[in-house]
Amino acid sequence: MEIKNYDELSSLELDTLREIGSIGTGNAATALSQLIGRKINITFPEVRIMGYNEAIEWIGGAEEITAGVLVRISGEINGIMLSVQQMEFVNLILETMLGESIQDYSTLKEMEKSALVEIGNIMISTFINAMAGLCGISAELTVPAFTVDMQGAILAVPMAEYGGQSDYIMTIGANFICDGKQVPCRLLLSPDVRSLNFLFWKLGVTDG
Amino acid sequence: MDKKLTIGIADMKMTQREGILITYALGSCIGICLYDPAIKLAALVHIMLPLNMEAGRKNPLKYADTGIRETLRQMEAKGGRRSRMVAKIAGGAKMFEVNGGTLGNIGQRNIESVHMVLKREGIKLAKEDVGGTVARTLLFDAATGQGCVRSYGRPELVI
Repeated sequence: MEIKNYDELSSLELDTLREIGSIGTGNAATALSQLIGRKINITFPEVRIMGYNEAIEWIGGAEEITAGVLVRISGEINGIMLSVQQMEFVNLILETMLGESIQDYSTLKEMEKSALVEIGNIMISTFINAMAGLCGISAELTVPAFTVDMQGAILAVPMAEYGGQSDYIMTIGANFICDGKQVPCRLLLSPDVRSLNFLFWKLGVTDG
Repeated sequence: MDKKLTIGIADMKMTQREGILITYALGSCIGICLYDPAIKLAALVHIMLPLNMEAGRKNPLKYADTGIRETLRQMEAKGGRRSRMVAKIAGGAKMFEVNGGTLGNIGQRNIESVHMVLKREGIKLAKEDVGGTVARTLLFDAATGQGCVRSYGRPELVI
């Protein structure tokens, strides 16, 4: 059965998405772990279907400043993937890669920005490649885009993209654990509704 | 302390004579303040997309065209008159430099749609702070009709 909106997903379909999230995020964590030479685990992956204002609350408030890396996915599936990098995560990366840390995003230098974009891009590509392999689909990714701004406005990008289809945003993601400490790094995949139906069809998840 | 009313995404609130209307983190979205100075009636609507082409039309406030019209309708029900009203708008930024996507530059299209709808409804656009690449928080004071835009890495702007 085809769904028309994110809130129509059955529990089997949600489980399928959680599994995709688990594999994708697990692979991304391994890639990150190799890059920074630290052990990284992931928390239990979540699939969330949220109203717009609920999503803003969930990410931690609209005006909070964060770094965001955005990649657009096209091909057999369409969607947007975001790496929302809050301060603790940013400093984990900068300390291990460059031996530096920041107090405020305004002091980010070009070199540091490049490192964050690259980390975000590698994690997103790894996630998507793992998902594409699992589902037997092809997906193309755009060059990553980067911004530092209010996280409400960053999260509104996938909302606006699919706002004509749905009053909800769907995100698949997890947090990382490094040296026993939870590091808020949200990898958020927001596919469009058509792509979800295609994924379920490819995976043979049909008794919606 | 003034009473503060927070407007979410695809949301609208109204207040008369006193109170601050506030909407946070406008990216490509646009916040539209509509004000009738004669009776100090202020409304702020936070729209996300340019045109309502949804079949069900469950949420008119999500779109520039139906959002502005619905707000005007509610203001008129409270005694507001279009001939006296002014509009102030903020938002319509491009948060990421990335090509492609089904909608192109949503922020720019939102700006164009808001301009067109205001013109068609006969509302004067008094001031605006739109476009660019920064997110904006918009505050609007019902007592004075003054707007204020807060952004990251930029001084506050009065509109």
